[in-house]
Amino acid sequence: MPERIAFDGVWKSYPRWDATSRTLKALLLRRVPGFMTPSARRWALRDVSLRLRPGSITGLIGPNGAGKSTLLRLASGVGAADRGRITLPPDTASVLSLGYAFSPDLTGRENAYTAALMAGLAPHAARAALSPSLRFAELEDFADAPLRTYSDGMKLRLAFGVIAQLAPQALLLDEVLAVGDLRFQRKCIDHIEGLKDAGATILMASHGIDQVAELCDDAVWLQAGSVRAVGPAEAVVGEYREAMRSATLERTPPQGAGEDDLELRRNRFGSQELVIERVRVVGSADGELDVGGRLEVHLELRPTAGRIRAPIVGMSIHRVADGLLCYDGSTEADGVIIGDVERPLTVELCFPGLDLLPGEYVLDLGVYEGAWAFAYDYHWHAYALTVVGGVPDRGVFRPRHAWTIGQ
Amino acid sequence: MVMSSPVTDRAEARSAPRPDAGGASVGRLRDLTLHLAKREIDVTHRMTVLGWAWPLVRQLALLGVLVFIFSNVLELGIDNYATFVFTGLIAWSWFATGITAATSSLVGQRHLLFQGRFPAVVLPVVALAVPLLDVLLALPVLLVLVATSQGLPWTIALVPLLIVVQFVLMAGLAWMTAALSVFFRDVPNLVGVGLLLLFYLTPVFYGLRNLPGKFQRVLQLNPLTTIVESYRAAMLGGPAPEAARIAAVVVLSIVVAVVGFVAFNRVQKRFVDYL
Repeated sequence: MPERIAFDGVWKSYPRWDATSRTLKALLLRRVPGFMTPSARRWALRDVSLRLRPGSITGLIGPNGAGKSTLLRLASGVGAADRGRITLPPDTASVLSLGYAFSPDLTGRENAYTAALMAGLAPHAARAALSPSLRFAELEDFADAPLRTYSDGMKLRLAFGVIAQLAPQALLLDEVLAVGDLRFQRKCIDHIEGLKDAGATILMASHGIDQVAELCDDAVWLQAGSVRAVGPAEAVVGEYREAMRSATLERTPPQGAGEDDLELRRNRFGSQELVIERVRVVGSADGELDVGGRLEVHLELRPTAGRIRAPIVGMSIHRVADGLLCYDGSTEADGVIIGDVERPLTVELCFPGLDLLPGEYVLDLGVYEGAWAFAYDYHWHAYALTVVGGVPDRGVFRPRHAWTIGQ
Repeated sequence: MVMSSPVTDRAEARSAPRPDAGGASVGRLRDLTLHLAKREIDVTHRMTVLGWAWPLVRQLALLGVLVFIFSNVLELGIDNYATFVFTGLIAWSWFATGITAATSSLVGQRHLLFQGRFPAVVLPVVALAVPLLDVLLALPVLLVLVATSQGLPWTIALVPLLIVVQFVLMAGLAWMTAALSVFFRDVPNLVGVGLLLLFYLTPVFYGLRNLPGKFQRVLQLNPLTTIVESYRAAMLGGPAPEAARIAAVVVLSIVVAVVGFVAFNRVQKRFVDYL
């Protein structure tokens, strides 16, 4: 009887990423290094409890930073939870990050052998698994080429080819299938379903909510480190899609939204020590933007509880139709330093030419504590942006381009 | 289009080998250590013409310089100086190269720590095992030198035991410095400075007898002093360090290894949070 995967009240925090707290100098100066003080931690998982049935595939969905990867990492034994318990079959296999363990100068065959050893096979079993791995990966012709000549898709095939030789009672996959071509994806999915029929428990994270609805029996929706919904895949995905699309948009005013439309704990979060007072999204017209046009986002920030030390302002754009994250950036990512805030100030973000394709988009805006410990004020899916223009191109964005025909 | 049949794939899946359920049995640790060391050696020497001979070339070059200086410039009054200094150099190079590599082994190969089920404890040991190959390459050269210049004593058979003692001591130190350097990125620098000083505080290119008595006693506190002197006694003949000193180093090595291993395992779950 295969065991199942269980998470019981799992909490996980990461130390604040602060370059100065990680040297001996900091230790000597402060006596207590930054990472030992509890306030300097960022919570990635909060009280997650889950029970996964044997012989089932569970999909993990949620926006970026919701804790999907953290959950899978902990489950595969990378790092330890702060609190709570994770129960897993001892022979759990996982593909977390693609080709990370691969060495670029060694051949595909040599790397496959290493991967098999690392996955827990004994040397003789790992040797025996080599040929079938390469056959599954359809890489027999490239087996003796160094790995640096492989594409990402080939690396995925190699990694999955090795995993396909194991018969684990549990399998953990983190967003890796998306790298392969459709045909190989189908092959992996067939294999995963084979494992499921043999009684294995499979947990996979995916951005493709359609894939989760189709392939998975159950789904778990993580939001900001907590389980927001769990149940049959169709139902959870439907709920997720609903939240991303209609529910959000109905309450999302066009541009120039005042804070009247924002409601704490619904689409506005944060400590409110520093608030986003007013937001103007300036495109070509009222909440509209021509493809490739200039977009400006004006924010007015006001501290409500005295001096705020060096906050970070972040912005992201999601496509409404499928919840795809199109852009996510911050002052920190661009190396822009805001400094300490005592009086109201304005922040402007300008895209001289925003190349998104026509469609409905929503903006998230946030102002965060200087080490991302928490948000002061975060407006989730609060500002709509419609990109217009009669271009037939498909995809996500439309970079400036030109065709040249020579003869 | 080549479509593999899902049905056969499923059949294969069921008869496929089960991964080792123990997670980190001694056998698995040994297999991983040996394989990763071999892989590292392969990668390092794959693209070079001289291949595995390079470490030997490096040691012989340093040997040549030391022999020239201390036979012609600064006379130390040591018979058969070439074999004397080569013996010390082999032990020292292994120590210095191994500890340096081990200290940054976790930070440098952080990607491996992000693999599920990977036992981090093997990485510092792999870093020590790789330069052990240099020792094994240099020893035959040394043996030929000794055999032709002064004849081999029977005690040469004890050299493997000394290698084991040195390995145990190095493993303990390596686990400590490797784990510390995850939390404090200064540690590799500190270790570099420490090794630089230790080179002169270990009788590698001189003998303990070249020093005044009180310094001899200070240097005897350095376990590497005893180890280097023991190698010399075993390979070149001549007086061995007192049994009490050797016993003390053996005990110290075991204590350091046990403490290093236990400490490493206590903190290793937190590595990935700091990498």
